[in-house]
Amino acid sequence: MSKKTKETMDGAAASRRRFLQAGIAGGAALATAGAARAAGDPVITEVQDWNRYLGDGVDAAPYGMPSEFESHVVRRDVPWLTADPVSSINFTPLHELDGIITPNGLCFERHHGGTAIIDPADHRLMINGLVDTPLVFTMQDLMRFPRENRVYFLECAANSGMEWRGAQLNGCQFTHGMVHCVVYTGVPLKYLLEEAGVKTSGKWVLAEGADAAAMTRSIPIEKALDDCLVAFKMNGEALRAEQGYPVRLVVPGWEGNMWVKWLRRLEVGDEPWAQREETSKYTDLLANGKARRHTWLMDVKSVITTPSPQAPITHGRGQTVISGLAWSGNGRIKRVDVSLDGGRNWHEARVDGPSLSKALHRFYYDFQWDGSDMLIQSRAMDEAGFIQPTKNELRAARGENSIYHNNGIQTWHVKADGAVENVEVS
Amino acid sequence: MLKFLKSGLLATAVLAVPVAAHAADVADGEKVFRKCAACHSVGEGAKSRVGPHLNDLFGRQAGTVDGFKYSAAMVAAGESGISWDEQTLTQYLVKPRDFVKGSRMAFAGLRKSADVANVIEYLKTFDEKMASSLGSAEAEMEEAEVETAMADKPALAADMPLPEHDGAFKLGRAATEDEVAAWDMDIRPDGVGLPVGSGTVADGEVLYTDNCAVCHGDFGEAVGRWPVLAGGQDTLTDDRPEKTIGSYWPYLSTVYDYVRRAMPFGNARSLSDDDVYAITAYLLYLNDIVEDEEFELSNENFTDIHLPNEENFIPDDREQEAHYADKSEPCMTDCKPDPVGITMRARVLDVTPDSEEENTGGAID
Repeated sequence: MSKKTKETMDGAAASRRRFLQAGIAGGAALATAGAARAAGDPVITEVQDWNRYLGDGVDAAPYGMPSEFESHVVRRDVPWLTADPVSSINFTPLHELDGIITPNGLCFERHHGGTAIIDPADHRLMINGLVDTPLVFTMQDLMRFPRENRVYFLECAANSGMEWRGAQLNGCQFTHGMVHCVVYTGVPLKYLLEEAGVKTSGKWVLAEGADAAAMTRSIPIEKALDDCLVAFKMNGEALRAEQGYPVRLVVPGWEGNMWVKWLRRLEVGDEPWAQREETSKYTDLLANGKARRHTWLMDVKSVITTPSPQAPITHGRGQTVISGLAWSGNGRIKRVDVSLDGGRNWHEARVDGPSLSKALHRFYYDFQWDGSDMLIQSRAMDEAGFIQPTKNELRAARGENSIYHNNGIQTWHVKADGAVENVEVS
Repeated sequence: MLKFLKSGLLATAVLAVPVAAHAADVADGEKVFRKCAACHSVGEGAKSRVGPHLNDLFGRQAGTVDGFKYSAAMVAAGESGISWDEQTLTQYLVKPRDFVKGSRMAFAGLRKSADVANVIEYLKTFDEKMASSLGSAEAEMEEAEVETAMADKPALAADMPLPEHDGAFKLGRAATEDEVAAWDMDIRPDGVGLPVGSGTVADGEVLYTDNCAVCHGDFGEAVGRWPVLAGGQDTLTDDRPEKTIGSYWPYLSTVYDYVRRAMPFGNARSLSDDDVYAITAYLLYLNDIVEDEEFELSNENFTDIHLPNEENFIPDDREQEAHYADKSEPCMTDCKPDPVGITMRARVLDVTPDSEEENTGGAID
């Protein structure tokens, strides 16, 4: 086991201990609540340290970090999934987040040769192939093109890939955490391609990264000229190194692997290149031994983020909030339904916050929990009319060896004590 | 081009400065050394690895670090009187295999003369004899340093006249042929992009054993969770299919392309084009696609070879699946018989990272 992996696991275990301790302390507080009621809650009736003593000055944290009480809100990895942490994945802690924007430091990471560290002064973006003039841009050149700001989700094609053969990982961080959503600032890819002058024979674009994997993907020219961005900012600040600093490709609604990070080259050609990540990987093996390729679009999908196995119900029966995320590579989410009985009956959820094309949507279902067992599910529909399928419908169509593009309906079993488990239902 | 030369006086002047007059910068040299660090170590406790350690390099006769297995060519070079100093290192680092023909160092060379000067300056800091003289050398070069620093910064691009192109924004500059050649290394199934070269199965076996077997196993069977490269034929419809070059990959070009761009893991771009032909040939041999150890793969016969699974890739037809084809309003009430039962629990094969149980799950990559 690598050192990094060990630390990750220790961190996860430690945060779980803290959570349990907090639960015990909460229980103790409840037990003494009767006796204390006359006097009142001590955090109110007694002057607290933070109410008396001065806090840190404005010079204490030139780059602010989350509160120390949020230290359990971190990306986590699953060591056995891949051979080595430098060609691996970690997961966004969806169960701790709300709204539709993912904080930069919590966006899941997937890279194939570690995080490339590149001084923007040494970075170049080249356009070559079937163009009138092969060009080289510096970062400064890129900043002089007209920019756009767009909110998009990015989902790894393998998100939920471990669940094909049945319920496996206890936590939506692990079952669904290969997705994030930020606002990108960047230059429309079409401006760059038009600057070089795409020849009429140019039908495909190869995007290539500057990292040690020199990641490459073939993208059809229609998509490249439609809504792709060459982005250098996320959520207003420079891309994080692990997200492709100084510049990455944004391919809205399509699988994350195509969003080439540390983007250094765009080649225009008349045929796809059949690179490793579009042949041996990111192709979807079916039960009959055939494999689909060029399965770029991320299908309509949703998941309940709380309650979920890492975020049990701790308040008992009564008013309860179910919250989750829905998204589709086809555009906006039209509706999300929530079931409390394993998909027998459905209730329309409330989508709150911006509803943007190819972005995460936040939904809520507010209800009175009677304290009995629940099998909670969410089902999303997008504006193109696609409805999120069940896992069994997907298996019937594809078998269990596809790895990628598992957008099946997730079921969480909420028990009477509020604990939550990942299950499959009849 | 003429226009560019005339008005780009500053840049031209800097380009014309001979190596010796470059401001050599230790910090920049440290960055350049990252290219070398995959094979060479330097500094306290440095040991010979893929390449010899580089402590106290200056004045060292070529090919003489104790215990390191040099090429015969490098030993001969040392015996013929070559020892490492600023001049010999400069010549060597520009094109290693030109300076010492037959050198085992796979590195192609440093293209920028500033990089060469800087990395030499960096190496001097690990040489007891040279370290003391560093201060004065830096002072001498102070003036040149200003120009070099400016020339290295893209900010200068704004001051240089842009070559003409038809773009609407007139941003960027034309890529040179050498620049395109340096980065455009992709290869397509139809053979477009293949470099001239060749390699045999027998050569490939040696290279594979040295460079690949540590992760992929001696016969492509893989160590740990590293990718399996050989075998797995007729397993694609099994419960646990084994997707290898022979059983799954559609095109041989992908093997060549990927090995050349990203392998060996952690030392990408260190193999020569012929090396990659040889390794690709050996991978065909491991997958029983060629059976002759003398088989030579080259740019001439490359596209004659087809991988067995090529025909089994189909276009994306997800939209035709029953659950997508039916776009009617979904059921809202009494959609299933009551009650709904639990058929499987994650707890049964709990492989969540916090748990201490052994995993039994499938890998995703």
